[in-house]
Amino acid sequence: MLPPETAATASEANMGAREIRAQRVPEAHPPMNLAPALRSAHSVRAAVRARAQLILRPDRWIGRAIDNLILALIVLSVGSVILEAIPGLPAWVRRTFRVEEIIVVAVFSLEYLLRLAAATKIRNFVFSFEGVVDLISIAPFYLAGVDTRAVRALRLLRLLRLLKLQRRVLESTVAERTRELADKNASLEEAQAQLKAELEVARALQIAILPETFPMKPGCDGAARMIPATTMGGDFYDFIELPDGRVGLVMADVCGKGVPAAFFMAVARTNLRDIAPQYPEPGACLAQANERLCAHNPMDLFVSVFYCVFDPTTGKLKYANAGHNPPYVRRTDGSVEALSGAGGLVLGAMPGVQFPDHVAQLRPGDRLVLYTDGITEAFNSADEAYGEARLIAQIKAYGDGAAVGLVENICRSVAVFAGAAPQSDDITLTVLKWGAP
Amino acid sequence: MKITFETHAGTTLMIPEGRLDFGAAPEFQRQIGKALAGVQAAPAGLVVDCTALDYVSSAGLRVFLLAAQSARRAGVAFALCALQPRVREVFDLSGFGRMMTVHADRATALAQAPEPLP
Repeated sequence: MLPPETAATASEANMGAREIRAQRVPEAHPPMNLAPALRSAHSVRAAVRARAQLILRPDRWIGRAIDNLILALIVLSVGSVILEAIPGLPAWVRRTFRVEEIIVVAVFSLEYLLRLAAATKIRNFVFSFEGVVDLISIAPFYLAGVDTRAVRALRLLRLLRLLKLQRRVLESTVAERTRELADKNASLEEAQAQLKAELEVARALQIAILPETFPMKPGCDGAARMIPATTMGGDFYDFIELPDGRVGLVMADVCGKGVPAAFFMAVARTNLRDIAPQYPEPGACLAQANERLCAHNPMDLFVSVFYCVFDPTTGKLKYANAGHNPPYVRRTDGSVEALSGAGGLVLGAMPGVQFPDHVAQLRPGDRLVLYTDGITEAFNSADEAYGEARLIAQIKAYGDGAAVGLVENICRSVAVFAGAAPQSDDITLTVLKWGAP
Repeated sequence: MKITFETHAGTTLMIPEGRLDFGAAPEFQRQIGKALAGVQAAPAGLVVDCTALDYVSSAGLRVFLLAAQSARRAGVAFALCALQPRVREVFDLSGFGRMMTVHADRATALAQAPEPLP
């Protein structure tokens, strides 16, 4: 026999019908200042209950044996009640019935006591349908004394033991259904846990393919951060080292989120990485990427991309915009300007789109800030958006230090602004600080 | 998101209210699909009146793109009208503003709508 603690735990884990019934009644907690004697009485009661529950558990051999024994005795005793009614039975037959009745009542009584002991709340069991039926099954015997023939009406009451039979059938059906349900729940939970684990891996992979550091170029200090809203995001950034020594900077946002957006992001990123070295002009690079994305776009997704090619020796910036938020340049005097200029349609929406090239000049000490609208469209509980003005204020205030410092400050400012409101979109940010080589 | 429909001389007017974001996009897509199927029987036009549309996310833009594509395939004239400044900005930034027909207000949109078939 298991020690009481283990037995109680095992009983809690069991999903049999009896435990289900017991669970409906909340455990009675002892008052705070009980005398030690009462407390120990309580723990003895708990230990007895645990053992009784363990014995009655329908998934163990002993519980099943008790069930089968009770079932056999019900059938036997009901048969006897009917046969007893036949007049002129020999004395030895009547004696046999008598002995049989005593055994049946003894076993039923033991079972009743066991169920009382196993009940979480005794009163609830006594007044439940099961409890009443069990009591009626044995009560006539005790009421009539040893000689039940004296009270014929009470003898007929024993026929009510058929109710006990029905109760058992009901109970075993419920127990079986409960077990099936528990099994199904367990397999569902397992499947969900597996799916969640796989999504976690996919998310880790997705973040892992983004570059951790800016290419080692003289005078360049770059930092980036991507915080997905759901397990998988559609934002991405990239640093592409070009054959001529320049660096391509990508900031992109796939429409929607979740697994489809993540897949499209991976395809878009691979395409851009693949095409960039062949197209020194950013506009031509985006146009080519658009053709490729439109050619295979079964989900009709699209991606907004800001792409610029930066020359770390001169600070010259060439850029083209495919429907993305214009990045900001922070000058050393603290002023902030947007890299606006006509852009084209987002990539993947329609083939044959042209993307005009623009040029900007970074001066030593300037910072370039690329971002996605997860920042400007971060909402707080009052449904206000973070907006461009707050972002520009951050860039002005914290643009003097290292690139990573500005990234951290902007992310913190957005988090503080949003407060308890859930993050509705991916947040992605890249800062490039350039000092002449 | 609340969406109501009106019919004006063969043109279906779709009036969404509230925010068209990732969560609202599927329902909006379903409604726009239904509206297109409805006017398909008597091809005329579908105009989305955005007066009460407060916000459009990228997932919302995608639904407009899909609608414009289905409308083209079905031979239905598709247009938007009365965009709020914030929404107008999103359409302009993404380039969708140039790709789709956008009217200043409902009256202009209905005036430009194709004649209903007899």
